[in-house]
Amino acid sequence: MTVELLEIENYLCALATKKVGPIIKTKSGTQRDYELKTGSRKVDIVTEIDKQVEKLIWESLKKDFPTYKFVGEESYVKGVTRISDDPTFIVDPIDGTTNFVHDFPFSCTSMGLTINKVPVVGVIYNPHLDLLVSASKGNGVRINGSEFDHKSKIADMGPLTLSKSVVALQPGSAREGDNFKIKMKTYENLLSADRGFVHGFRNLGSSAMTLAYIAMGYLDSYWDGGCYSWDVTAGWCILKETGGRIVGANKGEWHIEVDNRTYLAVRGSTDSTGEDQKRYIEEFWSNVEGELSYT
Amino acid sequence: MNQEQLKQIENAIVGLLKNEVGPIIKTKAHEKSKYVNKSNAVDLVTETDKQIEVLIKEKLGALYPDFKFIGEESYQPGVTKISDEPTFIVDPIDGTTNFIHDFPFSCCSIGLSINQEAVVGAVYNPHLGQLFHGSKGNGAFLNDTKIVIAERPLKLQQSVIGFEGGAERQGSNFEVKMSTLKNLLDAQKGFAHGFRSLGSAAMNMCYTALGTYDAYWEGGCYAWDVCAGWCILKETGGMVVGGNVNEWEIPLDRRCYFAIRGGSSEDEQKKFVQEFWNQVPAELKY
Repeated sequence: MTVELLEIENYLCALATKKVGPIIKTKSGTQRDYELKTGSRKVDIVTEIDKQVEKLIWESLKKDFPTYKFVGEESYVKGVTRISDDPTFIVDPIDGTTNFVHDFPFSCTSMGLTINKVPVVGVIYNPHLDLLVSASKGNGVRINGSEFDHKSKIADMGPLTLSKSVVALQPGSAREGDNFKIKMKTYENLLSADRGFVHGFRNLGSSAMTLAYIAMGYLDSYWDGGCYSWDVTAGWCILKETGGRIVGANKGEWHIEVDNRTYLAVRGSTDSTGEDQKRYIEEFWSNVEGELSYT
Repeated sequence: MNQEQLKQIENAIVGLLKNEVGPIIKTKAHEKSKYVNKSNAVDLVTETDKQIEVLIKEKLGALYPDFKFIGEESYQPGVTKISDEPTFIVDPIDGTTNFIHDFPFSCCSIGLSINQEAVVGAVYNPHLGQLFHGSKGNGAFLNDTKIVIAERPLKLQQSVIGFEGGAERQGSNFEVKMSTLKNLLDAQKGFAHGFRSLGSAAMNMCYTALGTYDAYWEGGCYAWDVCAGWCILKETGGMVVGGNVNEWEIPLDRRCYFAIRGGSSEDEQKKFVQEFWNQVPAELKY
């Protein structure tokens, strides 16, 4: 199985770099006419290219993996699309659509595979930075095809503590109601000198790129609510291969599925018992004000 | 100083950044960095910051012995002032937290002011291989490509704004920043497409110059964080005003800035500024 997963990883890498990447790169910033996904949310954007790229990926996968299921952002049907135990490709054709529209160089393609609902292959490609991050279960992580030595990177980063960490935060497109309030209050708690007092936060506007950056040791954690399985599946597999951990954004959500909609991702640490991460997660949760809820 | 002379200075700075400063930032960021806390536990500085500033001062001093020099690491609060004379204004490593954490947005920022106006600027991010540079009247470039911003509408609701939490994490400035962020995002208020945080003022200025940001709002940074980017931004049709309401004209060391991209008319930019200021609930004070 391990060998097969590596083959699928390589397949997705080729698809991402040769077919998908060039489209994202050339079309970035050219789609000033976009559609709004929901009438009420003027910041939730989808473009023609999103759909075109998803179709391209889906057709390629259907041909070469005819028995595998497929879940994609653009073909997702609320309440109908479910992730089963079958091998399932979970794909965001262009993650960071707002970045794509604004030509901010952090849009990417994100392709994952789950088996028994567990992410086992992940490929993220950002054509603007020409950065390809890929992994498969048990096979470690590769950056632009070269083995990534995550252990020495993590050893270099020192202990994992909230106040010395750089945290990724994204407000998302829900800009009113309880979830928005909880997010804003939590950001404030994390920054405040009297509370989390983190070294800083960063916002790249792409969940997939953020997870890739945590795996690469550029960021310590990422807290979000509102995103979907296709935003996180590929990054989840990659992060796990570097010893990282993903739990829910809400207190006590120690074990979650890929479609949980709220996530807290934490980098690996030198502490093999996992106590470091556990302490970090608990401390992080103590800054979360209320409970994010998505239906 | 004429356009040609400014271009020569620009070229000298570009060479210094590319050949000498960049390689140090790139290699040192991958070593385990020791840092010390400056004003509080999140305001950080490293030995490399100091080392690079000394190097730049020495090299530029040899080429332009009559020019003044202001750098982040040698700055003395209350003593260091920007005069009308030609003055290099330098941040050896902008985005020190990024540098320590290996987040690939640390850079070196070198500007030149004459009569307190930014007339030459260069910013180099060696991690991404992005070198922004420009001088007054000569246009602005990303690496070797001239930056040209496509004409397009500028509207707060459809904008992406650079926003940073900064190192000041209590008191009224912190509260004003958090409220401004909320207002900017709120569906009932600014409802902007989004904000982005890269942790480097100089990179934020350059991304505004490039038009990947529509604007960048900041309080608490210094002249060396913005001087180079200011010149680059102006050369692409952008504008810099104060971060506080009605500050249309500000000096380089105002410490509170709002930068707006080019690609739209001055009228539209001013309307945008006004609309943005409406989201700032109180004055940032430095």
